[in-house]
Amino acid sequence: MRLPPQSAARAVAVCLLTLIFAAFLNAKGMRKTAEIQQPGLQRAVGLAVARPLVGVSSFLYLTEPRHGIQVALGRQSWDAIDTQVRFTLPPARPHPVKPVAPVRVPSRHRRAALPRFTAAHPLRVWVAGDSLAEVPGQGLQRVAGSSVDIVGVESRLSTGLARPDLYNWFLRIPAAVRQLSPKVVVLSFGADDAHNYLAGVPKGRTVGPLGSPSWNAEYRRRVEGVTRELAARSIYVVWLGLPIPAGSGFQHSFPIVNRIIESVAKQNARSSVYVDTWHMLDDAHGRYTPYLRVHGKLTLMRLPDGVHYTAAAGDLIAQQVLGRLRTRFSF
Amino acid sequence: MLFPTTTFAIFFMIVLPVSWALQRHRRAWMAWILLASYVFYGWWDWRFVFLLMASTLVNHVLAVTIYQSTTALARKTFLALAVGFDVGLLAYFKYSGFLVNSFDNLVGTSWVVDAALPIGISFYTFMAISYVVDTYRGEVVPASFARFAVFQAFFPHLVAGPIVRASELMPQLETPRDPRRVDNSRAFFLIVSGLFLKIVIANHLATHIVDEVFAAPNRYSSLEVLVAIYGYAVQIFADFCGYTNIAIGIALLLGFKFPQNFDSPYSAVSLQDFWRRWHMTLSRWLRDYLYIPLGGSRKGRARTYANLMITMLLGGLWHGAAWTFVAWGAIHGIGLCVERAIGWRPTSTAGIWFGRILTFQIVCFAWVFFRADSFGRAWQILQRLFDAWGQASPLVTTSVVLAIVFGIGVQYVRPTALQWLELRFGRLATVLQAACLAACLVVIDALGPQGVAPFIYFRF
Repeated sequence: MRLPPQSAARAVAVCLLTLIFAAFLNAKGMRKTAEIQQPGLQRAVGLAVARPLVGVSSFLYLTEPRHGIQVALGRQSWDAIDTQVRFTLPPARPHPVKPVAPVRVPSRHRRAALPRFTAAHPLRVWVAGDSLAEVPGQGLQRVAGSSVDIVGVESRLSTGLARPDLYNWFLRIPAAVRQLSPKVVVLSFGADDAHNYLAGVPKGRTVGPLGSPSWNAEYRRRVEGVTRELAARSIYVVWLGLPIPAGSGFQHSFPIVNRIIESVAKQNARSSVYVDTWHMLDDAHGRYTPYLRVHGKLTLMRLPDGVHYTAAAGDLIAQQVLGRLRTRFSF
Repeated sequence: MLFPTTTFAIFFMIVLPVSWALQRHRRAWMAWILLASYVFYGWWDWRFVFLLMASTLVNHVLAVTIYQSTTALARKTFLALAVGFDVGLLAYFKYSGFLVNSFDNLVGTSWVVDAALPIGISFYTFMAISYVVDTYRGEVVPASFARFAVFQAFFPHLVAGPIVRASELMPQLETPRDPRRVDNSRAFFLIVSGLFLKIVIANHLATHIVDEVFAAPNRYSSLEVLVAIYGYAVQIFADFCGYTNIAIGIALLLGFKFPQNFDSPYSAVSLQDFWRRWHMTLSRWLRDYLYIPLGGSRKGRARTYANLMITMLLGGLWHGAAWTFVAWGAIHGIGLCVERAIGWRPTSTAGIWFGRILTFQIVCFAWVFFRADSFGRAWQILQRLFDAWGQASPLVTTSVVLAIVFGIGVQYVRPTALQWLELRFGRLATVLQAACLAACLVVIDALGPQGVAPFIYFRF
């Protein structure tokens, strides 16, 4: 038996009421969504709606069902907004950047002095970062032999070091390191950081637009902080630079981030290294190209968005990363 | 604009009441819904709205010309022009990079074509082809430009189908929808079930096992690889069926009926049965505009097999510009030929269950090529199925197994059980209906991952 059709007015009413009820039940999630928007009208309107909604909803205990599910799933922190950039070490003293010798494959003699890893005692590598971290991480899983253990590939879309309010990597990295005990951390950040807005700026400090001295200084503080915190735990950091993008906007903004990361890696050359994916993936004229010749075969390296990697590019980057690691470790 | 987002919810809450308010004013309604559809499409990349408009304009002009032509030669010529234009659009935007790259690697040249793929181009181009072919066949009378534009760009089906035929949608666009006869219960049921399939089932399987195993199969045990293959079968079903459920539900709320696109495909007893149940609107498109015009089964056994293979190979290529998709089509094509050759039509209970199990295994085997990014990776996955038994399998978790069992089990739920639920829901008061739906949305959102993953079929 079928129900007789109902009216359009009822459909509109049910849709509207559903959204209102869902907004009350999901008030904290909405507040977080509004909070993590870029500054502007959309964020202002979102917060103006979400904040009182959270007040009313919490007062009526309407946020509890969602919270209950989150607790059951171990996701109780998902609605929390933490913009703090926390480091345990004091900031590094500025000192001039020393030129770093080009990477060489170590001689047999030097190799013997390097820390040795085997299949029974593998080199533990953790890969983390934004969406650009995923494919190189998977490439490492494919390319690395049994003496390298990729203990995890954690790629979180649209996150970075600029927006701890969206996802706080400054909390996640130390937690993951405690949990996974890696010897090497491969980090890929910056594609979603190359914007004017930086969240979590210390109180009393203002930051100018992307590329301004104040923006560069604050971003550098974060990259350097992550590197030094990991170095303090005897963890070697591989920073993946941003690849040459197809879009002209990104071609201007990505190098700003790359310069900062490269400079930090050079300054902390004992504990970190910068892998230049920009020039790894450009053409003979230094321009963007979706294809590169690999083993004599023209191979697609980039996805249609002109930013993300294909698996072939992931394998290429992974080989470069392993090459750099061989200068530090024997495996 | 993706369906499961706040942006779309706001967009739809503006479009829905205005659409009903303008029902009696056809021109205003068409202008409104066309504007809404272009905004929906342009949200991804506004430049491609002009491509969609160009496709509409060219196909409309040629359909009208075909209709008005008096000689068979002229009609054929204009049909060839229209189909050539549509196939040309697809060839340039979807296949040029793949074709040039294949040529490069064959002869050693280094030509590069880098054309961005406009979202949904395969779907709206197939709808345009069906429109001009139906006009040529005399099954459809060309509509006004505005109505054809709405037919092609109507946002519920625009980016990932279902592929609606002119004879199904044009008559609905012609007459005002009756605001007293809206199938609300069905619409809400489809939308909520679609969101659950996509956000909870498909995303959970993708992020917890499928993506990891298909990226580096050699790192995982045979059990993990096997579960990942079944997981992908459920993921792609949940992803695509979820999307079309939402699309059909949204169209119903606007007063339009779209054809069904899935009918429990993993309960199919043969591959022929599978293709009657999986992406049904594409299957019938391929049947009516490719397989039958090629001669279908009317020209002898050898031609029938050849026609089946051509249809399935091109069907594979429709999904993506890669040889792995061609291999996927070839597996289905060979399977269909074998079934036809041996006359496979199980009738006994044991035969039906044997057919179901065997068909599901063949379909899953073919999905390996569909999902793998190269033949090498597909081969690694298949090899790994056999050489790493007995190893630890940390990715095979209870939640992954439950998601797979749910995805397969749902294929065997009787339609009457779902109708019973719809009936119960429909009898609730408006406020209670909204409360139930809101509770479902919150549970789905809480169970799903952070952020919104794109739908798999958007790429096609």
